Amino acid sequence: MTAPRRTLIGLAGLAFLMGIAAFVVMLNGEHNVHRGAFAGLFLATGWGFVGVGLWVWKQRSAGNIGPLMVAVGLSGLLKGLAFSNDSVVFAIASVGEVLIYAVLIQLLLSFPSGRLETRLDRLLVTIAYVNTTVVQLGVFLFTAPAKADPSNPLLIENSEAAGVLSAAQLDISIALLGAVVAVLYRRWRSGTPGRARVFAPIVAVGGLTFLLLMAALVVEQAGLSSDISDAQTLALFTSIACLPFAFLVGLLRSRFSEADAISELLAQLGEGGGRGALRDALADALGDPTLELAYWVPDQDAYVDAAGQPVRVDPAPAGKVSTIIEHEGERIAAIVHSSGLAEERELVQTAGAAAALTLRNERLDAELRAKVAELRASRSRIVQAGYEQRRRLERDLHDGAQQRLMALGIDLRMVKERIEHDPQGAAELLDESLHELNEATAELRELARGIHPAVLTNRGLHAALKGLASRSPVPVELLQTPADRLPPSVESAVYFVVAEALTNAARYSRAHTVTVGVVRDNGHVDVEVSDDGVGGADADQGSGLRGLQDRVAALDGRLELTSPQGLGTILRATIPCA
Amino acid sequence: MRETVLIVDDHPSFRASARRMLEADGYDVVGELDNGDGVVAAVEKLNPEIVLLDVHLPDIDGFEVTRRLLDANGATPQIVLISSHDFTDLDEAVGASGARGFVAKSELSAEAISLLIR
Repeated sequence: MTAPRRTLIGLAGLAFLMGIAAFVVMLNGEHNVHRGAFAGLFLATGWGFVGVGLWVWKQRSAGNIGPLMVAVGLSGLLKGLAFSNDSVVFAIASVGEVLIYAVLIQLLLSFPSGRLETRLDRLLVTIAYVNTTVVQLGVFLFTAPAKADPSNPLLIENSEAAGVLSAAQLDISIALLGAVVAVLYRRWRSGTPGRARVFAPIVAVGGLTFLLLMAALVVEQAGLSSDISDAQTLALFTSIACLPFAFLVGLLRSRFSEADAISELLAQLGEGGGRGALRDALADALGDPTLELAYWVPDQDAYVDAAGQPVRVDPAPAGKVSTIIEHEGERIAAIVHSSGLAEERELVQTAGAAAALTLRNERLDAELRAKVAELRASRSRIVQAGYEQRRRLERDLHDGAQQRLMALGIDLRMVKERIEHDPQGAAELLDESLHELNEATAELRELARGIHPAVLTNRGLHAALKGLASRSPVPVELLQTPADRLPPSVESAVYFVVAEALTNAARYSRAHTVTVGVVRDNGHVDVEVSDDGVGGADADQGSGLRGLQDRVAALDGRLELTSPQGLGTILRATIPCA
Repeated sequence: MRETVLIVDDHPSFRASARRMLEADGYDVVGELDNGDGVVAAVEKLNPEIVLLDVHLPDIDGFEVTRRLLDANGATPQIVLISSHDFTDLDEAVGASGARGFVAKSELSAEAISLLIR
């Protein structure tokens, strides 16, 4: 948080004046039994909180902690003014005299990040503010002042309802303080050892303060002796006066523990080490043995681990939180850590920044491994696809042309037997045989085209794509094709991209027309096949597109499917072609 | 009396040719089937003396159909296995199948069948 210098100086001036005013008012307050002690304690509390708060604020660290401490200090000094003999000052300060406890609760619950992280925290703080403002005003408007106090200019009428409201306010306060002490205790116990050290002084003094306040409220509720009450009030104010220094110690410890963690991390990074050393160093520094590193691979638009395997970062796995690490504006990695470290995001960020260079090197390593893993997978898919293609070919040959040729063989043997004694029957059989022969020839031609279309070799891409278009059940508009011949492997890949897209359009898209364009531009061939069908195609479904992806990737190209529901399908391939 | 035959093969043009050839040579083709699963029921119903059975069927293979026919109650027809594969690819399996014999589709003729079933 940044604060203009003038704001800080203005607040310091305000606190100084309010402090002097409160000190004078309290020394002269006729309804104050321990004038000297109270005046000193209030001044120490107010100036202590404001002073430490302004220092923290000026350091521009710890979020709202600085402003909140200043607010506690100022509301403490306001409380002091409630001892005024002047009825107007008394009235204003009395309405605001318990506000300090709400701000204090907010401060304690938002330490050290300066934010209220949980829903429970926000609920407790909201109750505290309502209880110390709305309810407090309600009580004051309908309560006649005690005998020793100045008159209440805001009094509407002295009502019994105010007594009930006041009792409710006390009950709410006691319950609220109990809850806050419990939350603080739990937070202290469940944090990492470093966090517990930071929390210790605040939990100790803050917890003691709230316990004393609870005791004071219980005494007030029970209407016990004013001697006990006075002693408690003195102890309470002393405890509050110590609080800003507890915060100071906590904040300094926090800074030192962060510095320790980072210098330890840097020392470990300096020692080097193999794969996993960086993860171990970060896990040690942040006190989270479950910490994992995920490296950003821009090509794959995904995170991978050190071995190059995909890692889930957003959303993080249950009980984990991801912190993204950037270096010079470039995303490098994510630290996937225990959600217990969520309140120490800044420390995680700092540790990540300290390790950024090493992270960047390891990222390159992980990126390479990811590429190798992807290449291995695609190689194995290509081998598998080759095997499946041979199986399919064998099956197609066996079930198709081979069966027809077998039947043809039987028929021709019969023709041979009949030709002398039944020439008419033999001629009819020959007609059947010719039909079978034509069918077998057509099936063989189709099969051969699936392996490699001869027209592509003989007459080039344009003729081959025109052939595909003329056989497509969905009308095809062939926009353009390169005038020159492309390398055979590129022509073949382009042909099969278009063939697969047309097959899919005919099978699934319910399109009226398909548009095909092939452009050679700037060392690339760009193929685009788009239809006006129903969309919703999924690249992960079916082996056809995956096979194409491998075929295109083998040429260092990229295949991209865009198929929003109801808005048609576009299949694009970009293949390098010098 | 003409011998009755059931043809089991999933390819219609092959079935048509086989039927023409068998009928021309004096056999009575009582039925055709394009799968293996219905063979036992078809045999019970049509009671053929010979089943011309393709080894490669779309559901179960000809050896499994043979086993089911031999296991079934009632008169078992003589089973002639046929395939577009060579006999050398299948000889052991044919020997163990309990079928009467095997004829490659490329050599299928009435004479080859009659040699097997006598």
